[in-house]
Amino acid sequence: MASMPSSEQIHSLLTATGASGAWYCDVSANKLYTDSRFAELYGFEPQDGIMGIPSQVFFQAIHPDDRARIRIAVAGVLAGAELFSKEFRVIAPDGSMHWMHARGQSHLDDQDEVIAFSGVLVDVSERKRTEERLRIAQSAGGVGTFEYVDGFATVTVSDEFCRLLGLHPAVSLPIQTINGVMLPGQPQLIPNGRTKDIPESLEGIFQIVRNDDGRQCWIARRGEVLREGGGYRLIGVIYDVTTTKLQEAALRELNDTLESRVAEELAIRHVAEEALRQAQKMEALGQLTGGIAHDFNNLLMAISSSLALLKKRIPDDPQAHRMIANALQGTQRGAALTQRMLAFARRQDLQSEQIDIVALVDGMQLLIERTLGPAWTLQCDFPHDLPAVLADANQLELALLNLAVNARDAMPEGGMIRITAAEERVTAEAIPGLTAGRYLKISVIDNGTGMDDETLARATEPFFTTKGVGKGTGLGLSMIDGLAKQLHGTFMLSSSAGLGTTATLYLLASDKVVASQPRLSVVEMEAPVRPLKIVAVDDDFLILMNTTDLLADLGHHVMDASSGSEALELIRQCPDLDLLITDQAMPNMTGTQLLELVVKERPNLAVILATGYGELPPEARGNIVKLSKPFDQDDLAKAVAQAIRVA
Amino acid sequence: MVEKFEAIVGLERDALTEIMNIGVSRAASSLRKMVGDQVHLSVPSIDVVNRRRAARLISEREISELIAVRQDFSGPFSGRALLIFPETNSLELVRAVTGDELSAQEVIDMEHEALAETGNVILNSCLATMANMLKRSLSMTIPEILRGSGDSLFEISDESSSDGLVLFLYIDFAVKKRDIRGYIAMMMDIPSLEILRELLREFIARVVGADGLNA
Repeated sequence: MASMPSSEQIHSLLTATGASGAWYCDVSANKLYTDSRFAELYGFEPQDGIMGIPSQVFFQAIHPDDRARIRIAVAGVLAGAELFSKEFRVIAPDGSMHWMHARGQSHLDDQDEVIAFSGVLVDVSERKRTEERLRIAQSAGGVGTFEYVDGFATVTVSDEFCRLLGLHPAVSLPIQTINGVMLPGQPQLIPNGRTKDIPESLEGIFQIVRNDDGRQCWIARRGEVLREGGGYRLIGVIYDVTTTKLQEAALRELNDTLESRVAEELAIRHVAEEALRQAQKMEALGQLTGGIAHDFNNLLMAISSSLALLKKRIPDDPQAHRMIANALQGTQRGAALTQRMLAFARRQDLQSEQIDIVALVDGMQLLIERTLGPAWTLQCDFPHDLPAVLADANQLELALLNLAVNARDAMPEGGMIRITAAEERVTAEAIPGLTAGRYLKISVIDNGTGMDDETLARATEPFFTTKGVGKGTGLGLSMIDGLAKQLHGTFMLSSSAGLGTTATLYLLASDKVVASQPRLSVVEMEAPVRPLKIVAVDDDFLILMNTTDLLADLGHHVMDASSGSEALELIRQCPDLDLLITDQAMPNMTGTQLLELVVKERPNLAVILATGYGELPPEARGNIVKLSKPFDQDDLAKAVAQAIRVA
Repeated sequence: MVEKFEAIVGLERDALTEIMNIGVSRAASSLRKMVGDQVHLSVPSIDVVNRRRAARLISEREISELIAVRQDFSGPFSGRALLIFPETNSLELVRAVTGDELSAQEVIDMEHEALAETGNVILNSCLATMANMLKRSLSMTIPEILRGSGDSLFEISDESSSDGLVLFLYIDFAVKKRDIRGYIAMMMDIPSLEILRELLREFIARVVGADGLNA
C-alpha cells in the first residue's frame, strides 16, 4: 500500500495549485481520504476526511444528472484505465452549484492490479461560463476559432471553424485537411509547420471550396502570432465574407462597364433624338406645306372663278377664249399640285372605301403600260383570296402610278417592273408606325439603279428629288407616305445602289371581301334652283368676292360677311334667308362654330361648309353640305341645290 | 429491409468510451513494456456511423493513403477490428516502438512485422477489455496488414451494401515528440451492435445500480 501524505502536506500543496479539494481512495479498504476543502465542499467533518470515510461518499455531492456518468468513469479507472479527467457538477451544502474538473489516476501494484485512486478537484465554474459565452459568440457570430503551435501537424479548432469549412466538427484537424479546402493556387490558411519562417500577421482573405457541398466561399482570417521560445503559436478566428466579396465584385463589374453602358445609352438616345428631330422637321414641313396649299388653293379658286365668269362676259373672240382656256388649265394644274401638297400634309379629303386591289390594278394596267412606254413591262403577282383594303381608290391609283413611274426612271434602259401583293399579320411593334393587325402589303419592285443610304433616308421628304430641276416636284413619295399614314398604314422603301428598289405600302385589310364596285362618276343633274337669298361668309376678301360673284351670276341675291359674328348679325336681320355658305377656317369663329350657333336659331336653314382641309370635324355632320375648295361654278351650283334639298 | 439502429448515446456511450479507454490504457501499458516509457494513448471520441460516413471521416482528415492492421473477432458479438494510420505515420510508429535503434532500411524491412505486432497489442487490449468488462469471451484471428483508401478499408464497393455500421474511435498516440495519430474502427452488423448495447446496459446496471443514481 502506498504511503499516505500528511493532511498538512496535501493542504499546502493544493492551496498553492488553486485546487478545491483532493482525495485518495484506498480500493481494497473501500475508504476515501480527503483534505479539508473536499470535506467542506461535500459537507462532512474535515476530521472524517482525514480518518477515512466510505468510498461511496465520493458520489454523494455530485449532481444527480452527472452521477451515473462519473460512476462509469470511476469504474473504468478501477478496471484499469490510467487517467481520470472528468467534469461534473457538485452541489455544496449551502445549495450552490459548482462545476468541478476532477483529474485523477490509478495506482497499480506489481501485478498491475489497481490498489488506489487519487486526484484533485478544481472549480471550473468561471471557465465553464466563459466557454459558454465563447461558444455562443462563435455560433451566433459565425466565427470559428483555431489555435496552432508550430511544429505540430494538427490544429485545435472549434466546431464553428469546422462548419465554416464544411468539415465534420472535431476538436483538432490535421493541417493538410484544413489547407485541403483552399481553392487551388490560394495561400495556406494555416502555415505548414515545416517552414521555419514565423508569419508576420494572420490578416488575410482566402477562397475555399467547402468540403461538404463544394460551394465556393470567401473566408477572412484574423488573429495574433504569439512568439514562444524559438517557435510561435497562432491564435485566430475565421469568418465567412462571401456576401461582401460578391457585392464588391458586382460593384466593380458595374464600375468597369460604366463607360460602355453610358456610351450605349448615349447612342440609343442619339438615335431617338435624331428620329424626334426628323419627325419634328416633317411635322413643321407638313404644317407649312398644308398652310401654303390652303392659301394657294384660295388664290387659285379666285383666279379660276373669275376666269370662268370673265369667259361668259367677253365677246365671242376665239383668241381671247383660248387664252382664258389656257389660264383655266393652268389653275387646274395648280389645283392638282395643291392636292399633292395636302396629301403629304395628310390633310387631303380621302374617300375611304373597301377596295379589291387586284381589280384596281387590273383596271389601271393599261394606263400604267401606256405611261411606262414600250421598253418596260409590267408583271403583276397577286395570290388568290387577298383581303380588301380600306383606302381612297383615286389616291391609291395615283400612288401606284407614281411608284411605277419612279421604277421606270430607275431603269433608263428599260426592264421589268413587278407589282406584288400579300396579306401579312403584323404583331405589335414589329414594324414602326403599325399597330398589330392584318395588313395588305403591296410592293412595286424594280431592279434599276437603286439608291444609296443617304438618298434613301431623304426619299420621302417633300421637295426632295433626284430628277433634276423642272422634272419632278419632289412630292411623289412624300405624298404616298402621307397617304399611307393617313390610312393608318405605312410606306417603306428598301433599296441598295445598283440592285434596285422595293417600295412597299402597308394598308389595313378590311374584314369583308367585296367585289370591286364599278366606279361610275355619277353626275346628278340638279333641277335649276329658284333665286335664293344667301349669306356668304369668308375672312378672305378675294374668295368672298369670288363666291358672291359666282352666286350672283347664278341669279341669287347674296349678302356678304367677313366673319362669323357679322354673318350672325345678317342672319338675324333677314328672317327669309334661304341659305348660309361659310368658309371653315376663319379666325375667332370657325365655320363649324358658326353653324352650331345658327342651327340653334334657324334649324331649318340650308347650310354649306366650304373647306380646303381634308377632314370635317366629326360633330359637323348631318344636313351640312360640304364643298371642297377650290370649287367652280358647277360645283357651287350643285352644292346649293343639294343644301336646299336636304334642309 | 433495412433495420434501424438507434445511435449509442448517453450513458451507453459513456460506458463504451470508458471501456475503450481501459482497453487503450492497457495497450499503452503493454507498449510501454515493449519500448520503454514513451507511449501514451487516449480516446477522445467515439461514434457509431455507417461505413460510408466512416470512410468520409477518415478521408476528410487524412489525405495520404492509409495503412491498417485488421483482426476479426467473434463471440456473442462479431465483427472486424481495424487499427488505421495515415501511411506517412507508419514508419514513424515503427521507429517509436523500436526505439530509433534501427537503420532506415531495417525500419522498412521491419515495418510489416512491427506494425502487425503493435496493432495486435492495441486491438487485443481493446477487445479483451471489452470482453472482460462485459463478462463475455471473444476469440480473435491473427493480424493482417492492409493498405488503401478509406473506401477500400471499409469495404465500400458498388455491389456490397454499405449499410453495415462502424464503431469508430479516434485515438491519440502521444509518442514522445512524434506526431502519430490513429483510428480504431470496429465494423459490426446491426444484430452484433444490438447485443453490444444489451451488454453495455448490463454493465451500467452493475456499476451504477438499477436506477443509476445510488450514491
